[in-house]
Amino acid sequence: MANFFKLLKNENMKIYRRLRTWIMMGLVVIIPALVAVLMAVSTGGDTEIGAWDAFTNLTSLFFLVSIFSAIIFADIVASEFTWGTIKLLLIRPWKRSKVLLSKLLAGLIFSLLLTLIFIVVNWALSFLLFKNISTPGVYPAGYSPFSFNLEMLLYRYVDMVIICIFAFMLSTLFRSSGIAIGLAIFLLFAGNILQALLRPEKYAWTKYVLFTNMNLSRYMIGDGSAAGMTLGFSVAVLSVYVIVFLAVSWIVFMRRDVAA
Amino acid sequence: MMSQEPVVRIKGVSKRIGRRTLIDKLDLEIPSGQVYGFLGPNGAGKTTTIRMMVGLMSISEGDIYIGQSSVREDFEGAMKQIGAIVENPEMYKFLTGYQNLLHYARMSPGVTKERIDEVIHRVGLSNRIHEKVKTYSLGMRQRLGVAQAILHRPKLLVLDEPTNGLDPQGIRELRDYLRELAHTEGTTVFVSSHLLSEMELMCDTVAVIKQGKLVDVKVLKTGEETEQQAETAFEVDKPEEAAALLGTGAVDGGSVIITADKEGIAEINARLVAGGIRVYGISKRTRSLEDQFLEMTGGGQIG
Ligand SMILES: Nc1ncnc2c1ncn2[C@@H]1O[C@H](COP(=O)(O)OP(=O)(O)O)[C@@H](O)[C@H]1O
Ligand SMILES: [Mg+2]
Repeated sequence: MANFFKLLKNENMKIYRRLRTWIMMGLVVIIPALVAVLMAVSTGGDTEIGAWDAFTNLTSLFFLVSIFSAIIFADIVASEFTWGTIKLLLIRPWKRSKVLLSKLLAGLIFSLLLTLIFIVVNWALSFLLFKNISTPGVYPAGYSPFSFNLEMLLYRYVDMVIICIFAFMLSTLFRSSGIAIGLAIFLLFAGNILQALLRPEKYAWTKYVLFTNMNLSRYMIGDGSAAGMTLGFSVAVLSVYVIVFLAVSWIVFMRRDVAA
Repeated sequence: MMSQEPVVRIKGVSKRIGRRTLIDKLDLEIPSGQVYGFLGPNGAGKTTTIRMMVGLMSISEGDIYIGQSSVREDFEGAMKQIGAIVENPEMYKFLTGYQNLLHYARMSPGVTKERIDEVIHRVGLSNRIHEKVKTYSLGMRQRLGVAQAILHRPKLLVLDEPTNGLDPQGIRELRDYLRELAHTEGTTVFVSSHLLSEMELMCDTVAVIKQGKLVDVKVLKTGEETEQQAETAFEVDKPEEAAALLGTGAVDGGSVIITADKEGIAEINARLVAGGIRVYGISKRTRSLEDQFLEMTGGGQIG
């Protein structure tokens, strides 16, 4: 356990020394900015949008953070194989399990960083461009604008982490960033459609499907309870999926022969 | 630089993938401080063996010890002692040479900034080390490959076909460098190749592998050339007379062929001259290692 921090530093170096990463971060600033300006211009005058409402609207752009994070996770193991650098990475005095852990953590740090940038940018835009007035009736009962947005973002973050860990598993499984990114983004967008198609109140088994349990924010307005599903139930199901994804990643990565 | 105990002990190692046996009960001991060659035709199993040594491939049977550490049981302990390039030295192209070295330096205990600079100087990359690797030529990447492999002063340096793609000048530099490393610093170098001519020039000992099996181990260079009996051809004016005079030897065209050691050759020459025979030339007729290699590996047949 000499110095695990150094492994993390390496993974970070490999993320932040790439131009791609800075383009992603730039887009997470620029796209919300454009949308916010458009929103401010188009609603100038009669229909006033409050700062918190603007913030809530802007957070629907969170899918940007999800896609970019998924790309990093999909690439972080696979790229070492495509570059051939895996052969130099795994012949160091570090067990493969720790190398993989450093990659997972570096990915999580990136996703957290991108989320923070996203939140700060959106918050700044909302309060710079829009008046801090309260518009009643927008938020469900029992929520303040702040607590509503915070909880919403937390659920979005959870969804994102699940997609990312799925991408991470595909990355170790197929050693191909392309497949991993493709499937992860498919999951991201198809998830909502599948969620609408799978009716847990009709077919009980669909309660245990990954998509049915994602998008936890629906419990904020009481959706899903029809089939007897609760927030706790979904969290438990999602946890099992995450554990399985991680277990598969670790087992495959630790056992696999590294041949050309 | 006394070789106390072998740096590497490969003990009954086999590698099976599916029904194929790529390596079949391989036993090999690599003494310390040598440049040790691993010779075999393409597909013989050199890369597979090296991959098992450095833990890139699992070992189906047997075990490999680096010093006292088993690759299977104490992977971290074993890897601390090894530096390697397996096939091509693939680097992070979007990083500079320096950042690449920093990356690997962080993964081994005790590699200081001074050590990194020292290694950069040694492999002659000082002027370009802060440029991105994507601008490097193959020769420069090879040097960077060697640099990452020796950063942590490994006891054992493993190189898989390091001369592939190098020009003659590059091969010469690498060869001199490896010999220096082994003979002045006591680093053991294990180097594979399918080219015998290269092995002859750089190795002290060569192990020959064919179709996953060890065929032979040949000592090429010993401390002071020990003298061996060798077939020697004496080119003379009257071969039959010469053979009669010596009471031994076979006539082959204008030569008499006699098996003798160094001293014997001098003696025979003196007797011939004293006996009034004109000696035009003396040449050793050892079967070249090339012939022996082809014989052992049976030519043709890709394993
Ligand atoms: N991952 C693999 N799966 C199946 N066979 C393999 C694999 N890697 C190598 N081989 C086979 O094993 C044999 C030895 O290969 P290798 O060790 O690369 O030989 P060398 O390095 O001596 O040229 C070859 O016949 C090759 O086709
Ligand atoms: Mg090979």
